[in-house]
Amino acid sequence: MKRYILLAVALVSVAVYLFPLYWMYVTALKSGTEIFQYPPTFWPPHPQWNFRQVFLQHSMASYLWNSLVIAVGVTAITVVIGTGAAYSLARIRNRWTSVALFTVLMLQVLPSSLMVTPLFVAFNQMGLLATPRLAVTLAQAAKVLTLYIVICRSTFLQVPRELEEAALVDGNSRIGAFFRIIVPLARNGILVTSVLIFLQSFGEFVYSRSLISEKSLQTATVGLSEFVGPQINDWNGIMTYSAIYITPILIVFVLLQRRIVSGLTAGALK
Amino acid sequence: MTAFFRTFREGSGFDAVLILCAVAYLLVFSAFPLVYNVIMSFQSVDMFSITDFNRPWVGWQNYIDVINRPEAWLIVKNTAIFVLLSIVFQLGLGFGLALLFQQDFPAATFLRGLFLAGWIMPGLVVGTVWKWIFAGDFGVLNYVLNHLGIVTGKIFWLSDPAYSLYAVIIANIWLGIPFNMILLSVGLAAIPRDIYEAAELDGATAFQRFFSMTLPMMRATLGAVVSLGVILTLQQFDLIAGLTKGGPANSSNVAQYWSWQLSFETYEISAGSVIAVMMIAVVIVVATIYVRSTTNEQSA
Amino acid sequence: MSKIKAALGALLLTASTGAPALAEPVTLQFWTTEHEGQQSYVLAQEYDKKHDDITVNIKHVDLGNMLNDLTRAYATGNAPDVVAVDNPDNAMVSSRGVLLDLDPLIAKSSVIKPDDLFPGPRNSGTWKGKIYGISRGSNTLALYYNADMFKAKGLDPDKPPRTWEELYQDAKALNDPARNVYGLAFSAVGTEEGTFQFLPFVQTAGADYDSIASDGAVRALQFWQKLLDEKLASPDTLIRSQWDSTGTFNAGNAAMVISGPWELPRMQSDAKFDFRVALLPVEKDGSPRASALGEFNNVIMKTTKHPQEAFGLLEYVYSQANRNWNEFGMMSAVKTAVVADPKWPAAYAVFTEQLKYARARGPNPNWPKISKAIQTAIQSTLTHQTDAKTALEQAQKTIKPLLTQ
Repeated sequence: MKRYILLAVALVSVAVYLFPLYWMYVTALKSGTEIFQYPPTFWPPHPQWNFRQVFLQHSMASYLWNSLVIAVGVTAITVVIGTGAAYSLARIRNRWTSVALFTVLMLQVLPSSLMVTPLFVAFNQMGLLATPRLAVTLAQAAKVLTLYIVICRSTFLQVPRELEEAALVDGNSRIGAFFRIIVPLARNGILVTSVLIFLQSFGEFVYSRSLISEKSLQTATVGLSEFVGPQINDWNGIMTYSAIYITPILIVFVLLQRRIVSGLTAGALK
Repeated sequence: MTAFFRTFREGSGFDAVLILCAVAYLLVFSAFPLVYNVIMSFQSVDMFSITDFNRPWVGWQNYIDVINRPEAWLIVKNTAIFVLLSIVFQLGLGFGLALLFQQDFPAATFLRGLFLAGWIMPGLVVGTVWKWIFAGDFGVLNYVLNHLGIVTGKIFWLSDPAYSLYAVIIANIWLGIPFNMILLSVGLAAIPRDIYEAAELDGATAFQRFFSMTLPMMRATLGAVVSLGVILTLQQFDLIAGLTKGGPANSSNVAQYWSWQLSFETYEISAGSVIAVMMIAVVIVVATIYVRSTTNEQSA
Repeated sequence: MSKIKAALGALLLTASTGAPALAEPVTLQFWTTEHEGQQSYVLAQEYDKKHDDITVNIKHVDLGNMLNDLTRAYATGNAPDVVAVDNPDNAMVSSRGVLLDLDPLIAKSSVIKPDDLFPGPRNSGTWKGKIYGISRGSNTLALYYNADMFKAKGLDPDKPPRTWEELYQDAKALNDPARNVYGLAFSAVGTEEGTFQFLPFVQTAGADYDSIASDGAVRALQFWQKLLDEKLASPDTLIRSQWDSTGTFNAGNAAMVISGPWELPRMQSDAKFDFRVALLPVEKDGSPRASALGEFNNVIMKTTKHPQEAFGLLEYVYSQANRNWNEFGMMSAVKTAVVADPKWPAAYAVFTEQLKYARARGPNPNWPKISKAIQTAIQSTLTHQTDAKTALEQAQKTIKPLLTQ
């Protein structure tokens, strides 16, 4: 019985939480003027299915591909550089690691919109603007690295130190113990944090907008700005576009969530 | 050389290399923009002189000018409210949901996965959707509230200065819940089950178990989530741009958006940088508190 | 595409006639806030096609970022050749010395004659007596009204309001909260659009941006306040862009709206009623007519390597001014342009008349700051944080030192 009460509570909270998402889909189906009507319609009487048209007209395939390339790149860089640092920062407590942790937090303070002008100037000097997707990837990785390190660090803290010590006694090197014992035990945290930064990088906007000038290399979120003009704001278009953008990711996650999210409940030590 | 490799394989050299890689990466890609902002905050900057460091030095004058602007204190107050309420509710609701989905009931993990939707939506879209929901005349929120009899008449969420800041905060809480919920779930899952079972046998109530065991065991995660939450909230930008643009009359304006407005709308780049530097100062405080708090955290 | 054609053309020419090779092919970078299918794209592509040795690369930049991107590009040596800048921003860019002085080119031009431009557009591109920008077109504001609602409320649809008092009375008569209908919609949003909509009210009352604390300006702001206080316009007027305000009119939730000619295509398809256009009401009988002047100016960056070809593009856009109304949803900036068979002839007549009274914003190199001060005054008054007089005096204090710079 208790399980079903909990289920009911969970269903209600999901329903409330996802309402804005539902509203996005509904708005995508409304006509331009219907958006302004009161009382609002919860399901449009004449839904407009513009998905195909928006997808093709706005070359979304190329945009989405670029977003994917950048998000994969950012996640790879962050995981490679961040995992080890998070581990060491969790294991060792001294003045130097405090300074390092402080530095890591400090360097991510400003919003991208305030970082982008100096980055543009610097990247121009370094010649990185010739490979704009790489430039965005490098800049965005610096943006999410702090988040990754801080979260993963707290995951590593929950891995019992005795297990690592036992592994070292068994003749493993530090590197061996790290890859064979520590990382597998902290994999939930690593996986979930990677997913979070992947998604955030997939939706990166400010850097892509400013550093990428060629349309064929531009990302999906920047493509949204095509609907917004000085005298035209195509709200339905924006919603249709976002629906196309979000739905596949959502489906992938609903399908994969067994692996991604359900791993959480298993507990690190089982 | 062999000594180096030995410390790398066996001792502290290994840790030092791992940490230095990350710090070096951040220094290369994030330190320059930071320093650049600090320098500009002391100079008189024209929009077409952004690459030229040889600009007139005006010292603290920019700071005095910014602080003396009539809107300055309103925006400081708004920023404090924005950060505080966002963090409290994101954390509270996120923790509540994490605990809920920790329980054993049908489809729990599936339903939890759906919460990621908020994290996937681009900021611009979140702003736009909420703008339609909050709209005074034709917004669905007013419709629902009227229908349920909670309010009569229309609330102008975005254009009434009494509500605009809170409307932005509500949307920001919505946006931050998945982040908090998922990360706290990870932390909860790492707490060994047998401790709970032992406590249950000892007759501890759920309430007692939460405060005497769950909270202390979650200390590291909570510290990380809160300090990152403050930083992420201070970076929230797209949402404000999409919802109110800080208006009406700055009633929902916050530091990061003001800084952007000054730098990129009225091209007062120095003044924009001054605010950026002040935000850096706030984060220094947050980072110090966080680092301090980690010195006595226990490994499980 | 046309690059290949140009190369082919050159090849064929040299092959067939043995004539010396044509001039080096030229590539122009053109930045605009417009999208595919709008004027900048259509005309630049035509210009590209007409000249085998010229290729135009068009890049869309959104309005909010145009000047920032331009600044960055200029500072790093990547500036485009031609840019369409919003006309109130033209003076700011001109004053920074980054634009090409067009006077020498205009002197030799057989196409562009500055005297043929309407005074508003010409002023907006002029800085310290020199011309730096040529308006690609112009637009202005007028009053749209729902004639069906006029009839339903016993008003004469052939007699739209001519003065503020009539506007107020009609808005009051048309206002119908039970049916979610406001008397009037306009935009008081805290962006350039808010200033754009406000200035005509200030100007008909005898003031302007450089005398923003004078009585006329105060009366204008008090009039706006009255409309909002009596809920004759939605409180959300404070956060709605012109496009969204007009959206509520199209949906039948406002009986009148102040907006420009760019709305006509959407209104045609969305508004299910008899909509008409009237001149903007003046303060009282005999007050001067006033209206805002919108649209963008094409400018050439000083750093261009191809001033002739870039200027050729400006000439081409100028020469096609008679297509602006029917094809691009804007007015012409050229007095001599003739529209043979205008769409929406009644609206065309009104906007053409209205354009005669349109004044350029500024020109002033500090326009964004001036505009911001005005927006702040509007918003703090309409939300009752201060009264109109105090708010505008504060704005005046900010604006005054900016006028002389």
